Amino acid sequence: MHEELLNPYRHGASLIHRLPAPVKLLGAAVGVLVSVLLPRTAWPAYAGMGAGLLLVALLTSVPLRHLGRRLLIAEPFAVGVALLALLQDHGLQMFLAMLAKSTLCLSCVILLNSTTRFTDLLQVFRRLRVPPLLVVTLALMHRYLFVLFEEMGRLRRARRSRTFTSGRVFAWQLTATVAAQLFVRTSERAERVYAAMCARGWKL
Amino acid sequence: MHIPDGFLDAKTAVISAGMAAMGIGIALHSVRRSFSVRRVPLIGLAAAFVFAAQMLNFPVAGGTSGHLIGAVLVAVLLGPSAAVLAMTAVLIVQCFMFADGGVTALGANIFNMAIVAPGVGYAIYALVRRAAGDSLRSRLLATAFAAWCSTVIAAIVCAGQLAFSGTVTWKVAFPAMAGIHMLIAIGEAVITTLVVAAVARARPELLASRPPTSAPSHYTELTAYGLLVSLGLVVFVAPFTSGWPDGLEKVAAALGFEHKAMATAVMTAPLPHYTIPGFRSAVSSTIVAGGVGTLVAFVLAYVLARALTPRGDAAQGRDAGGASPCA
Amino acid sequence: MNALEVHHLGYRYPDGTEALRDVSFSVAEGERVGLIGPNGAGKSTLLLHLNGLLPEHPPPEPAVRVFGTPLAEPNLAAIRVQLGLLFQDPDDQLFCPTVWEDVAFGPQQLGVRGPELSGRVARALAQVGLAHLEERMPHHLSRGEKRRVGLAGLLACEARLLALDEPSSDLDPRGRRELKALLGSLSVAQIIATHDLELVVEICSRVIVLDQGAVVAQGPTVELLNDEALMLAHGLERPHVLRHRHPH
Repeated sequence: MHEELLNPYRHGASLIHRLPAPVKLLGAAVGVLVSVLLPRTAWPAYAGMGAGLLLVALLTSVPLRHLGRRLLIAEPFAVGVALLALLQDHGLQMFLAMLAKSTLCLSCVILLNSTTRFTDLLQVFRRLRVPPLLVVTLALMHRYLFVLFEEMGRLRRARRSRTFTSGRVFAWQLTATVAAQLFVRTSERAERVYAAMCARGWKL
Repeated sequence: MHIPDGFLDAKTAVISAGMAAMGIGIALHSVRRSFSVRRVPLIGLAAAFVFAAQMLNFPVAGGTSGHLIGAVLVAVLLGPSAAVLAMTAVLIVQCFMFADGGVTALGANIFNMAIVAPGVGYAIYALVRRAAGDSLRSRLLATAFAAWCSTVIAAIVCAGQLAFSGTVTWKVAFPAMAGIHMLIAIGEAVITTLVVAAVARARPELLASRPPTSAPSHYTELTAYGLLVSLGLVVFVAPFTSGWPDGLEKVAAALGFEHKAMATAVMTAPLPHYTIPGFRSAVSSTIVAGGVGTLVAFVLAYVLARALTPRGDAAQGRDAGGASPCA
Repeated sequence: MNALEVHHLGYRYPDGTEALRDVSFSVAEGERVGLIGPNGAGKSTLLLHLNGLLPEHPPPEPAVRVFGTPLAEPNLAAIRVQLGLLFQDPDDQLFCPTVWEDVAFGPQQLGVRGPELSGRVARALAQVGLAHLEERMPHHLSRGEKRRVGLAGLLACEARLLALDEPSSDLDPRGRRELKALLGSLSVAQIIATHDLELVVEICSRVIVLDQGAVVAQGPTVELLNDEALMLAHGLERPHVLRHRHPH
């Protein structure tokens, strides 16, 4: 999870990386739409798209192993829902089609976020006139994700180093307390961030 | 409950996106009107908090563990509209940066997890609190029950969307989604309540800063969400309530009206009524299970709330015991 | 005209505890003043009063004047441009997604756009020696770098008075040296709340000693910090760098 947030490949300099963010976002969106709208049994089309995406992946010079791993992590959810389709008529064909489509779509999105920084996506949202309140929420969320992760890690370590009992109930109570402490600290930090924003003239 | 790309058809995706946009619009309007400007950064940080908290492991059995969704947690701690915005932010980041939930399904996912879940959750929380009082114990009861119900209802809407798209038939989607989530929801209820209880112990004032449920703007807000959620149910779930006549026929048979019902059926449908007996009963048995489950959930919520607030401290809102002495 | 004038400033927390009692002092233009005292003395609270973040509702007769302007509601925006506050936790200070955006935040609020904006940002980052970090994200920076980016953000607003809350705490020796050199090189007035007495000796000409919300002493740095009795009485101590100097 941490590695995903700090993904070093995102800051690459390949041809794809250097494309402007709106282009990449549009490209991914078009890729997803096309995959979704393809007829269910358009197997040659699926293969063609797959080949195209592979070409793009190679152009990004992000290691294929890394991209593949991310795809594998994301797949199980799609497979899980797709399995439900097996329980009905023409189930197998439906299942395979859904699997193909979702793999293609996942690949588009993974390629997008492996080559684009979230802050650039935010700029696109701003230009698309997404309401400022939502943009500032997204921006602050992204900015403080890592800070909170680190804080949560410290809280867990501190708790565990003073825990001598085991047992599931206790573990739940302990983890819940870590979450609560994190919320309290987050609340306090939010106050300070508000002060820091006001100190530099922020108005919503 | 994140729906990936390729599972919803165009009409479902577009309708859900429209409803999601309406819900976000309500939330934006409501936050601008009645949420203190001082707390606006808290919405973004709460989104980061939810994201982080979703990574926490709650071991269940073997190697599996439960995780928090967090919609009701944020709603109880920050109010429904802030929760809508925070969960929306979480889902957007999950979609684009983690490929968790499809891009075309983003509207549906936002509607289910960022509008239905916190909206329904907060409404139930507010109702139970109104009925049970303001003590910590009743707030925990309200939290637990609200978390359970909202998770199940969100799952039902999700099943409706899958069925509406023709991807998975209702007869499969509804029992599967509702059934599984009735269990998952227990975890959500327990975790959410434990966290709220711990926050109450550490900083009671963080819970006390809730707008009074009698404030007029609050009612408008909740009504708006209620209408939107009802719209979602009408569009995505109501078309499939042809499952209900199964249950009705059972009742009719039990009461001796069976012959009348059969006669009507024969007149309207020359073919045999059902083709897959197993699936027919899956839907109605899910509905029965749902009803029973809701009652059980309420009882369990009460038990949990009592366990977290031993006698004597229920009113003051302090918890003298609990599994960890230094909360 | 003084950069900062504080007359009989008092403050009570919501629960009634007195946090500041009859605080009065001034800071001249271009002067560097150290604000020292034990933990809980009220240093951070005092700094929050300088740009109106506290109290929650500005009093009818403001106790604070910044470059001659009283700290009242209509003047707050203008004062916050001139008085830049650097928060203790750099993660609170840097709330924008990238370094460039954070430094640009202040000027943008003032309506600065285009080439002038980029110019200000570039100059501010150059002043703190971090011109090469424009596109970085805050969580990729070291603590020292975060502090300096925070300073750049204030310099980009063309602040004429900097209020710094524990700027050298939790910095490693190199970070501390860089910060000290940087603060020493800036010509703007500064009020620095800190435990780092060596820093105070090295760059501040005057100090204000705060204890339990009241000013217990103020005057030339070396004279006050050499006063061992005074230092010990208020939870401080005579810094080592003075012990090995000839008193002058």
